[in-house]
Amino acid sequence: MMTIKSKTEGYPRYAPGTHVSGRDISNKNVTYSWWEPEVQYSWSLGPAYGRFLQELKKGKIIGRSCKKCERVIVPPRMFCEYCYRSTDEWIYLKDTGKVETFSISYLDPNARRIKEPILIGVISIDGASPMHGFMHYFNDMKPEDLKIGMKVKAVWKSEKERTGSITDIKYFKPMNEGDK
Amino acid sequence: MTFYEKQTDPSSPMHWLGDMQADYLYPNGKAGDKLFKHIKENDTFLASKCINCSKIFFPPRLYCEDCFVEILEKDWFEIPSTGKIRLHTIVTINTYGEKLNEPKMIALIDIDNTDGALLGIIKTDNIDENLIGRKVEAVFKSKNQREGTLKDILYFKMR
Amino acid sequence: MNRVAVIGGGMTLFRRRLLETGKELSFLAAKMAMEDSGIEKKDLDMVVMGSAPDAFDGIHMKGENLLDGAAATNKPYVRLFNGGGTGVFAPIAGWWHVASGVADTVLVVCEEKMSSCFPHPQTAFQHIWDPILDRPLHPNLVWLFAMEMNRYMTMHNIKKEDIALVAVKNKRNAVGHPSAQLPDEKITVEDVLNSEIMAWPVQRLDISPPSDGASALILCSEDRAKQYTDDPIFIDGVGWNIDSTMWTNRDLYFPRYVANAAKMAYKMADIHDPKKEIDFAEPYDPFDYKELHHLEGLLLCDKGEAPILTREGVTQRDGKLPVCPSGGLLGVGNPIAATMGQKVCELYWQLSGKAGKRQIPTDPQVGVGQAWGDIMQMGTVIVMRRG
Repeated sequence: MMTIKSKTEGYPRYAPGTHVSGRDISNKNVTYSWWEPEVQYSWSLGPAYGRFLQELKKGKIIGRSCKKCERVIVPPRMFCEYCYRSTDEWIYLKDTGKVETFSISYLDPNARRIKEPILIGVISIDGASPMHGFMHYFNDMKPEDLKIGMKVKAVWKSEKERTGSITDIKYFKPMNEGDK
Repeated sequence: MTFYEKQTDPSSPMHWLGDMQADYLYPNGKAGDKLFKHIKENDTFLASKCINCSKIFFPPRLYCEDCFVEILEKDWFEIPSTGKIRLHTIVTINTYGEKLNEPKMIALIDIDNTDGALLGIIKTDNIDENLIGRKVEAVFKSKNQREGTLKDILYFKMR
Repeated sequence: MNRVAVIGGGMTLFRRRLLETGKELSFLAAKMAMEDSGIEKKDLDMVVMGSAPDAFDGIHMKGENLLDGAAATNKPYVRLFNGGGTGVFAPIAGWWHVASGVADTVLVVCEEKMSSCFPHPQTAFQHIWDPILDRPLHPNLVWLFAMEMNRYMTMHNIKKEDIALVAVKNKRNAVGHPSAQLPDEKITVEDVLNSEIMAWPVQRLDISPPSDGASALILCSEDRAKQYTDDPIFIDGVGWNIDSTMWTNRDLYFPRYVANAAKMAYKMADIHDPKKEIDFAEPYDPFDYKELHHLEGLLLCDKGEAPILTREGVTQRDGKLPVCPSGGLLGVGNPIAATMGQKVCELYWQLSGKAGKRQIPTDPQVGVGQAWGDIMQMGTVIVMRRG
């Protein structure tokens, strides 16, 4: 632990502060308090996400249209944020789409390193407006084969396993010629 | 604007459950670290004094929030771990709303020779008695068990 | 509308973890800005606090916790945040206070303690995702930026070598900044390209570090400024704009919200051709590609042109358009809101010729600072001018 008050000719003239290293913590060179919050939440789905998840459970992807801007929106919303009016109709979409962007991640949610990379990206869904889609995993391919613009198709959990969740789709795989 | 669509199917999902997964480590700060390191080794407290307005801070601080001047090392001093009860209340349930085996008294204690106060547990034989204004002193854990946190003070006892 | 001057700035050390509490850091930065300008607490009419989501410090209603360290006790006080955009948004809020005439002298303090959150600040970032559609996929925030970087690179056919040049430039620029966490005089493009892959295309040295720190600024009206300095620096334009939260419904290759915010600020500052009229820039650079993305958003070059300018040395400190002369977030550190130190205090120091070793040699007259926040959707822009 050391206090640094380095002087420079310019501004800021010095930088006050006391650096604490990881070792200072583990060796208890500094005193500290520890807290683990225990809180749980129940988020309302609302009619749009509620129906979206209900349809996923049935193995279908559903969107919502706005007649004014002529968008087909997915994930569906009950209002159009651009026209600022209620959306109009439910529209079933395909379970295929296009990779708009992706990443090959060697980090888990807590920034810990992992050996097998997670393939993740945004898929615009066929039947929705261009650039309209959601984030999901990719699999059944080598990381180096994943490309922006690639056509992909959803791989679903079995009907029994589906619970009404975005994870009812296991991942997206490369689309083959026979796929619809 | 109204939503034309209503959720009428009771079997449709309505809620999504989740939690907040994050733990926190708070260093006690420059002033706090000094206080807690002192408490770890001593049965007394430390206070710091603003040279501008003469206010004596407990818990001691790095700066005076009113005058906005830094309090230097030389204006820190040792004080006894004694005080007077300003306010008190009786607690009968724990954080989860479950009943405690024994009710306990929590008090805000004005620390002697300072302008500051501290929350503490009061050990008393008669918990229903009005103890406002009564003198108390801190009882610490044995030195080898102290960790440099507020929990090193077990409770306050009547003087 | 009153013209608003900047008359003082302050910054603490930026490090992965500092001993000082958030209050203490706020005090140290605010005190430095006050001493720099000759202002005392009694001279302050109002105080603005900027600090990003509470989940980092782990203190709910952080603004209330920090206020005594920000000289705000018994004063009109507001805390605001829009994620990473806060470092420029807080001084914009300070500008409202003075420009509107409700205050003559305002202190702006920005504070962040990212070290409190365990096991990593990323853990707190999990809670900014949509809980229903994103969080069940266990996302990491680096994914988000990796996806934006990939889209930007693919649309313009940009090479990673050109992006790495930004990390090299900024970490070198940070040498000589007393607050700097990761200055590196000797870093090379190869170092960046060979660093650990985090979430492709993002590698370890493409990212700025999480940090603890605070920064502060003193703003006042033009009349009041004359009492304290002969050479005030003015905030002549401010702009802010936010895009849709539904980031999977928009193209990430260009930050149109930054462009909207920049247009608002340039109009206010009477700037018609930013490419010619802006002398230097401090765009938000939490990742190296973001500096390029934001230079395009700030309309300082055409879409896809920023990597070319970088390759040609235009954005070096002695180039035609110096960019991030402070060392940016990549070199100095990224205590989210407190990056006001690089994005706004630096404009003040550069324009008043006080930047020491970091000084741009060409006597700059107009600078633009910018930050970026929330879920890749918030642009905050400030234009500052000499005299």
